Amino acid sequence: MEQSGTSALLQGAVQDLASDVVSALRGGDHVRMSGIGTGAVEEIEGSLDLAAVRVLGADLLLPHVLFPAPPDPEALAVFRKTVEAFPPRADAAPTVKWSHWAMSRTLRRLDTPLTGAQGPPGAPFEDEGGEPDASWLDEAAWQALTHQLAVLAPLAVPGEDCGVARAARRRPVDVARGFVRAVRRRDWQQAAGAGRWLTLLDGVPDALGLEAGLDFVELMGGNDPRVALQVQAARVMRTAGALV
Amino acid sequence: MTDTRLMHTVGVRALEWLWAHRDGFRLEPDVDPEVGFLERFKPVGELALICRVLFREGVAGSRQADLARRLLDHTWRHTLDGGRMLVRGQRIEPLSPIPFEVYLPYKELGYSEPEVERATVLYHRLDSWAALELDPTRRLGLSAFQRRFGLTPRIAEADIVGSTWLGRTPEPWTVSGHIAYDVTHTVFHLTDWGEHPEGLPPHIADYLATWLPVWIDDWLDLERWDLLGELLVVDACLPRPTLDERAWQSFAAAQQPDGAMPAVRTMPEGEPDEVFDMIYHPTLVAAFASVLATSRSLAELTHATP
Repeated sequence: MEQSGTSALLQGAVQDLASDVVSALRGGDHVRMSGIGTGAVEEIEGSLDLAAVRVLGADLLLPHVLFPAPPDPEALAVFRKTVEAFPPRADAAPTVKWSHWAMSRTLRRLDTPLTGAQGPPGAPFEDEGGEPDASWLDEAAWQALTHQLAVLAPLAVPGEDCGVARAARRRPVDVARGFVRAVRRRDWQQAAGAGRWLTLLDGVPDALGLEAGLDFVELMGGNDPRVALQVQAARVMRTAGALV
Repeated sequence: MTDTRLMHTVGVRALEWLWAHRDGFRLEPDVDPEVGFLERFKPVGELALICRVLFREGVAGSRQADLARRLLDHTWRHTLDGGRMLVRGQRIEPLSPIPFEVYLPYKELGYSEPEVERATVLYHRLDSWAALELDPTRRLGLSAFQRRFGLTPRIAEADIVGSTWLGRTPEPWTVSGHIAYDVTHTVFHLTDWGEHPEGLPPHIADYLATWLPVWIDDWLDLERWDLLGELLVVDACLPRPTLDERAWQSFAAAQQPDGAMPAVRTMPEGEPDEVFDMIYHPTLVAAFASVLATSRSLAELTHATP
């Protein structure tokens, strides 16, 4: 019972954080970002909240990557604390390593590189050479590829390159297939994550109807803020792409 | 690619079951007219269509070909009373296309009932027959059958394709079970039940090559064997069939030792006639998918031979 109670609390904390990010993305004009600094993050103290930030990953600060407004210093501090508190083990799953890498990259972009607990400044993910291995994606069937990409949706950010993004770019049709599969299975979170990636890829079949597809995913699954976050991120990125 | 023997064996076993349960192909001459005498013609017509595919492809073993011939003879002589039941159907409901649709594959295999043909030619002259409010896939099938019969369809097949769901190549994530059956039948009609894969317009073939693997994956996981079998037929109608190994292995594993194929998940229980009505279709589809996939697989082997 204790375990499931903790799990439910963690889920709730993640949902709250995701709601904050969605608000920031929706209200995200160039004037004022969300209340991330004044909302849940501000009060983060216990490990549960750090765990929630870790689950949400780099997307916690996504509004500040997509829009020019700088993040709240407190939110940034919590984000940094989370990155430092959960370094991936050498034998961690690739998605865990990449999720951490994504957070480190966001820190590099919005703040100074990692220091202290991580050893020399910026290590170990200071440069391209520090990227985790992404070759497992090339060997994955389209079903698994899409699932893993959806887990790593925080890496789907315009103008940023990495091994995972390159793997996605090589297989737009497979990711599109995975999107269809996820919608058919009513796995809205996976569908939303896959749809966010597809928004950034060239070579997605027109017949997919991606834009309406993402709206459908939001209609069916948007009550879950983690779904709404991915759909809104895709929408912002598509609009940004259209302006370029 | 899947082992040809595995795909072939599915069809051999399916035909054994169909022969053993041939009495399930039965009409109900005394049925309440409100229920409809024509309702029970569908299984007979489907059997004849698929036996015709089996002869056409020429990949059936001698035992399989013999069973198919005996099944056709049995249903023509006993179930259809030498074609007289089709005449009776046309008299009960003159404008129904069903008796004609059931008759066509028998005619193509050498059976004949002149009165059915006389009525068909007459109905074909009627504006009413062309005006029947059939859904687009059914209309496509009727026009295709009229062409095969030797008539000029009043509504050209090329003019119907664009009204079908598949012809418009819509968002693939909207497919449901009902839509998927429309898709499979559109492909059956456009290719004359797999005889002319080139009958698929290129944009439809491309669309299917992209999305069919997703639908196969999905209905395989749902263990919807009847629909999966039809999707495997569609695969075998494509310019480059995948003959998906995972799907074929699961499909073969779902088949019972006596050759019966459950429609969904596992075998239903009930009275023999009830069970027959629930599983004759997936079992026929298994025979159909098997013969087309085997044929395509052998064709690829032939092409691969130096």
